[in-house]
Amino acid sequence: MSLFFQLVTSGLATGAIYAALALALVLIFRATNVVNFGQGEMATFSAYCTWQLMQWGVPLWLAVLASLVGAFAIGIVTFRLIIRPMMDAPVEATVVITLGILVLFQAACMWIWGAEQLSFPSLFPGGGFGIGEVRVLASAVGTLAILLAIALAMGFIFRFTKLGLSMRAAAFDRTRSVLVGVDVERMLMLGWGFASVIGALAAILIAPRLFLSPTMMTPILFYALAAATLGGWDSPLGAIVGGLAVGVTESLGASYLPFVGADMRIAVPIALTLIILLVKPVGLFGSYKVTKL
Amino acid sequence: MRDLSLSTAIKLSLFAIVAASISVFAPAYALQQVAIAIAYAIAILGLNLLMGYAGQICLAQGTLFGVGAYVTAILNATYGVSPLATLPVAAAVSAAVGLLIGLPALRLQGLQLAIVTFGIAAAFPQLLLKLGSLTGGVSGLPVDAPETPGFMTDVPELWLYLIALACAGIGALLVSRVLFGDAGRALRAQRDNPQIAQALGVNLTRTRLWAFATSSALAGLGGGVFAIVSGFISPESFLAILSINIVIGSIVGGVTSMAGAFVGGLFMVFVPSWASDINLSLGNLIYGLALILIMMVARNGITGFIEKWISMIFRRAAG
Amino acid sequence: MTLLDIRDLSVFYGKTQALFDCSFSVGEGEFVALLGSNGAGKTTLLRAVSGLLPFKGSVFYAGKALDKISAQTRLALGVAHIPQGRGTFTEFTVEENLSLGATIVASRSQVREDKERWYETFPRLRERRNQLAGNLSGGEQQMLAVARALMSRPKLLMCDEPSLGLAPSITQEILAIFKSLNKENGMTLLVVEQNVDITLQYADRAFVIEAGQIVASGTASDLIGNEDIKKSYLGVAG
Repeated sequence: MSLFFQLVTSGLATGAIYAALALALVLIFRATNVVNFGQGEMATFSAYCTWQLMQWGVPLWLAVLASLVGAFAIGIVTFRLIIRPMMDAPVEATVVITLGILVLFQAACMWIWGAEQLSFPSLFPGGGFGIGEVRVLASAVGTLAILLAIALAMGFIFRFTKLGLSMRAAAFDRTRSVLVGVDVERMLMLGWGFASVIGALAAILIAPRLFLSPTMMTPILFYALAAATLGGWDSPLGAIVGGLAVGVTESLGASYLPFVGADMRIAVPIALTLIILLVKPVGLFGSYKVTKL
Repeated sequence: MRDLSLSTAIKLSLFAIVAASISVFAPAYALQQVAIAIAYAIAILGLNLLMGYAGQICLAQGTLFGVGAYVTAILNATYGVSPLATLPVAAAVSAAVGLLIGLPALRLQGLQLAIVTFGIAAAFPQLLLKLGSLTGGVSGLPVDAPETPGFMTDVPELWLYLIALACAGIGALLVSRVLFGDAGRALRAQRDNPQIAQALGVNLTRTRLWAFATSSALAGLGGGVFAIVSGFISPESFLAILSINIVIGSIVGGVTSMAGAFVGGLFMVFVPSWASDINLSLGNLIYGLALILIMMVARNGITGFIEKWISMIFRRAAG
Repeated sequence: MTLLDIRDLSVFYGKTQALFDCSFSVGEGEFVALLGSNGAGKTTLLRAVSGLLPFKGSVFYAGKALDKISAQTRLALGVAHIPQGRGTFTEFTVEENLSLGATIVASRSQVREDKERWYETFPRLRERRNQLAGNLSGGEQQMLAVARALMSRPKLLMCDEPSLGLAPSITQEILAIFKSLNKENGMTLLVVEQNVDITLQYADRAFVIEAGQIVASGTASDLIGNEDIKKSYLGVAG
């Protein structure tokens, strides 16, 4: 039984990363109807910026803070330069555009910092503590705490502030929002900025475990896509629940299902997503209006 | 109607001229590259049917392409079947696998379908490694070169090129039969409005499954051709990124155009390598920028863009 | 004094022209109806004035040319537009809809005050303030749309087919509210309608639009009696 709880806790910690990236994807999808396949690579770029600042002697926390500000700017610039001119383009065109963003940021990391893996310091102290026979890493607790903080902050902004209300309105219906005086373009831009910050946090949290490399986030992106699909593409709550569910089932499946094992673990979230979609085609918390790509 | 057949005739003859001049002027190595591009183009033809006309996005086209390639390789390497004879089997097996994937697609739409099929694409290389006794694992499988007719033994690549071209012709014929027949009307109707299509008596289940099977059969055919042209395959050739690249090729070429499939196949093979030729370390940077800029300029793909310009020029000229 | 002055207004959707050199004006404190059948160009005209569509020609509001001014600024200047279908944020609560109506209002106390005021006028909205707007009845949603538009304290309120999908008695109720806003608050109204007879009971003046052109105009009392205009343009059998 203690193995089970051990697997669940490690699954939750990984799931928190998936959840954060899924949240970024969902925020952007809700606002601009675009699935940003480049989200993970934009995040990796920000993690490299953190690393670079630390190489220059900036303390860790300050470096993280500065790169998150940078990530916000990257999100906004990407929206203004690439996404905004394509807002009324066919879906296929935006799919290729965001794949282009993926290639572009990956290549930029490769060009500036090279392909080799770099070690990245953890935001949290090493070691951990035991609850019964289950060993919990401090980094796992810290990662979950940050996810919780993001979720609460977002919930607060969306529910209780004027900015959040306007952002939700802009995502809900552009014309109606324009008519009540919402600066829709600014809201969408901010949505891209916030999403980019959340994605960057995910990359900074996972980098100590996976080592920093230009392709670090590519597999994570797949899990995040599965998490967003599982939770429902228009639901931030769904992204978080979906991320955690994908993390836990992946961790359990890899250990308990003999055919799956470590090398086929990617099959677990796919199977889970498929089963949930067959029961509820729009995902756990999704609504019926957003099923078209 | 006469306009339509005229423009089809113009397109076909243009195509023939391009195909013939490639075979005459391209060096042997490039011919093989073009043959590979055509193999991808066959898979894209199928994807266009699914994406452009049936409105369903499948991100596992590379997987079905891989299934076809492995059927050809296993039949040839393990059972000694002559390479060309394996191609129909490759198409049939891929079609069957495609149907299996297509079954859940009956309930899933757009984005959901894309993500689930992408998951399949991500798991496929792992599965190939797991089934090592059948697939040869990491070391892959060799495929015999098809027997080259006597008069062109000097350039076996030319023969490979012609085989690829012939298969593409069969694929294009198949697609146009589907598109211009009842099935094509049903496909377009169900893409534009499933409810109305159903009310008009279009059998959605059958139409969608039919689209999936045809598209997968073409992927399998393309994969078989790929295996023959390459002479060797391994899981490396069928990573998840291949499915993404096929989708990119399809969209960049133009999803609702048959000529677009060929533009897309050539794009997949040549543009990344041209980008690295310009500057090795900046290759991918250039490629990424190229993707973004092309789509910004030509939202409906390259063929859509060219058609728009041609029709504009004709209109100018006419009056 | 003229509040809204429209001169030679033309609007194109791509290559199709939807409005052809329309000219008319609305005086401050007037209640004007724009009548026309389906597809005559009524909605297009409102969308051009509120900033949803670009136009050729000129539109002056309180002496200012609107063509270079953003939709948001037009709202701040006092031009509010209740779109066809009411523009309700259906997945938001009634209260949130009112808050959205006050997006351009900076003062929190003004927002609180105005909400209180319109809840007073529309008690049913107060009862349902925490419900999703999508769950309201058609009539309640139209009232919400009016209250939402009023939250920005407009001078010119434009409303697109308030009667759409409503029972005649509720349409009457809405138009009566417009009339009292007009009489008691001096608000200028431009109401687009197909429902000629009911609308003319409340409006001061009306314009008739047909195939993108203004084809007739007059005071409400003139038009009520004019069977020819009704028959030829508005599809109303005498």
